[in-house]
Amino acid sequence: MASFGWKRKIGEKVSKAVSQHFEEEAADESVVLDSHEVDWLHAIKRKKGILLEDNTARSKRLKEEGSLLAEDGRHKEALTKWDEAIQLTPEDAALYEMKAQVLMGVHEIFPAVQAAETAVQRNPRFVEAWQTLGRAQLGLGEITMAIRSFQIGLHICPANTELWEQDLNWARQLLQQKPDTESAEAAERKRGDITRELIPDYDFESDEVVAACDAISQRHKMAAANKAIVVSASGSGDPAVRKEENMETNDSKEFIKAR
Amino acid sequence: MSTQYSILFKQEHAHEDAIWSVGWGKNSNDGSELVISGSLDDLVKVWKWSDERLELQSTLEGHQLGVVSVDVSPSGNIMASSSLDAHIRLWDLESGKQIRAIDAGPVDAWSVAFSPDSQHLATGSHVGKVNIFGVETGKKEYSLDTRGKFILSIAYSPDGKYLASGAIDGIINIFDIATGKLLHTLEGHAMPIRSLTFSPDSQLLVTASDDGYIKIYEVQHASLAATLSGHGSWVLNVAFSPDDTHFVSSSSDKSVKVWDVSARTCVHTFLDHQDQVWGVKYNKNGSKIVSVADDQEIHVYDCPI
Repeated sequence: MASFGWKRKIGEKVSKAVSQHFEEEAADESVVLDSHEVDWLHAIKRKKGILLEDNTARSKRLKEEGSLLAEDGRHKEALTKWDEAIQLTPEDAALYEMKAQVLMGVHEIFPAVQAAETAVQRNPRFVEAWQTLGRAQLGLGEITMAIRSFQIGLHICPANTELWEQDLNWARQLLQQKPDTESAEAAERKRGDITRELIPDYDFESDEVVAACDAISQRHKMAAANKAIVVSASGSGDPAVRKEENMETNDSKEFIKAR
Repeated sequence: MSTQYSILFKQEHAHEDAIWSVGWGKNSNDGSELVISGSLDDLVKVWKWSDERLELQSTLEGHQLGVVSVDVSPSGNIMASSSLDAHIRLWDLESGKQIRAIDAGPVDAWSVAFSPDSQHLATGSHVGKVNIFGVETGKKEYSLDTRGKFILSIAYSPDGKYLASGAIDGIINIFDIATGKLLHTLEGHAMPIRSLTFSPDSQLLVTASDDGYIKIYEVQHASLAATLSGHGSWVLNVAFSPDDTHFVSSSSDKSVKVWDVSARTCVHTFLDHQDQVWGVKYNKNGSKIVSVADDQEIHVYDCPI
């Protein structure tokens, strides 16, 4: 049975690290209370010092635990550890960079970009963070932004050969290929537009429905023809064909809706 | 002439992205001064300094990636730029036309520096070699081997005797140009040396490093004369004033500092940039300093002379 004691609530809402810390502090206080003639001013100062040191040390431990978990493939648990560490040391750029890497590993690309962006904000001279940001941006298809991130990383550390050979060169190759795929996509869109234009607004009046059916059957014919063209025109027609098929399934859905 | 340091002019949004390098040149027609800026936006821009403000004279297009370094030939009519695209381009300053492009090979075009006679152009390479190209031919004429790591920074002594290079591992090498011999290897800093500069009388060498320190060496004996602290982060660029008495430095801490050489102290700090300041330079007569930064701005400062 679930009980609603205050301790349980703390466990839910407050991170474990914070509550543990609170408990430790409480323990400290009881010790201070026990002794007589307390120098309050210095006691408070000393406690602050201890607190700062504690946070960094604990954050470091959490960071290492997270790394071990990540190496083990336990991504979600690693992320939890690092989030806890970020609570303790929100300025530590390395934590965000590690988070970004693991987020990419679990294909959470957008959060990965955000985490990497925070990392380079916290430390704009952190080469690996620029590299991770660039890789995450590539994951989003933002090639130009990725090239910019890789360049900033290289400007800071031009001796990073991986950044030259793998990241920057790869991204530039992608950028060169991009115009080809873009023009192909544009052509496809154009074809789609033409067929769409053929369908007037549905009005559930018999002759218009007939016209729509006509148009749709025509479109199917065209789509089939397009498919044939795509396959014959480009040797690497695989993804294009798949897209055409998607279009067809969409079409049939529309058709059903129209009826 | 002014009697104190002050900011004269800010060119906001000078480029579309971070500005990484800067130089001063001269327009041979009307004698007006030019500021050259190179940026991450792949462009080199030439600005005319007249009536206490900058005016865009020409935009030099050609580089495929960010421009890492620019230098103006001592003769004043040619400038060179190097980019992450591994090309060095030579430009006619007046017309803004490209004279020639040199393919330095991957990762082999970093800081560029003209020799005092404007005949050669030196650049560092990733295998620790300083490659010297002929300005007329565009061909590699010879190279000086430091047997070290990636060379980030290069400087010719104004008397034409020495060439100094600073590496990513903090090692400084000084070559005798006439013989091509390596004269001195100094373990100056433990971190990358992003910039170094000789005094106009060629007696001193000033180095800037990621360790936050600036060091002054006496060239002849290769002895350390001073270590200066003051910047709160990486020192990215240093440049000497033409009168031998001052030099200027810029840093990741967003500041530009002017230093007195004999007193070895910082005499003024400019805090006008909002981001890392990658480049600083004195003009020909030492009355002005220009700086460029990640905030996409070019600043011109007045100096007492």
